[in-house]
Amino acid sequence: MNDVLLGLLVAQLADKVPGIFYGLPLLALASLIFAATHHEDPAAIGLATVHWAVWLGGVLGVVLAIVLLLGWIA
Amino acid sequence: MAAAPDRKPQGFVVTSPDDGTPIDLRNPFLAAVLSWLVPGLGQCYQRRTTKGGLFMGTLLAALVIGLWVGGGRVVYASWRGGESRLAFLGQAGIGVVAIPAVIQSLRLHGDGKEPLAGGWFAPPLKPGQLVSTAYAARLMRSEPGVDAEDFFDKPPYKQFRGDQLSMWQRRLGRRFDVGTLYTVLAGMLNVLVVLDAFAGPMRAPPESRPQAAAPERESLQGKGT
Repeated sequence: MNDVLLGLLVAQLADKVPGIFYGLPLLALASLIFAATHHEDPAAIGLATVHWAVWLGGVLGVVLAIVLLLGWIA
Repeated sequence: MAAAPDRKPQGFVVTSPDDGTPIDLRNPFLAAVLSWLVPGLGQCYQRRTTKGGLFMGTLLAALVIGLWVGGGRVVYASWRGGESRLAFLGQAGIGVVAIPAVIQSLRLHGDGKEPLAGGWFAPPLKPGQLVSTAYAARLMRSEPGVDAEDFFDKPPYKQFRGDQLSMWQRRLGRRFDVGTLYTVLAGMLNVLVVLDAFAGPMRAPPESRPQAAAPERESLQGKGT
């Protein structure tokens, strides 16, 4: 019974949350893994994570803006 | 996170890109295989436990979240005619799910077969596929939307008449795609983790960057230190 309720809750959340927000944890995850595979020191990993997150977020944000702009023009 | 200075290196040694301390990779091939099986396990074997724990926690969390959101149906291997699961190429970056998925796919190949362990990581049944009577009965009990009308009698087997992948996608909706995305990305990022276990951090050590001279990377294995 609890599993069914939990499944319904997840389904409701999945339908309410805009798709772009599913990408944010993945952006953070990719930044962290990129940083951790380039550094060994925890402090350096933390700084590089922010660096990668800004770059990845910026590039994906530009792509998203172009797609939205093209959709708006069309 | 580099090798402790009082511990003798047992294998290949690289230099930390941050502070120049040596990192003992021990047996890099074994470490790479361990990291493929379970993210971060190779780094733990190399005594780089902080990084190992970081990789294990984050990538396994992404994998579990993806499986949970996708109703446990998003990781499977299928390369039968008409349907190739390309997402599995990414998911195969993590051995702990890739191996069961391949085993289940092989188990279901052919007539009258059934998967192990209740069908976890098993590919969906295709229209016209022959399965064992026991597996058909189990699907009717446990799989939402599957009932006796979905099977023809083909003694000694049962023939599936629906399309199980379409059933999953209809039932899960966007959750199927989100779960697939999370598990694929976790698998692809684990390839970087495997490379880290095999060859150390990808960034060059400070002394070999362009502004400094480029000394050779040394291995302490042959020096007996």
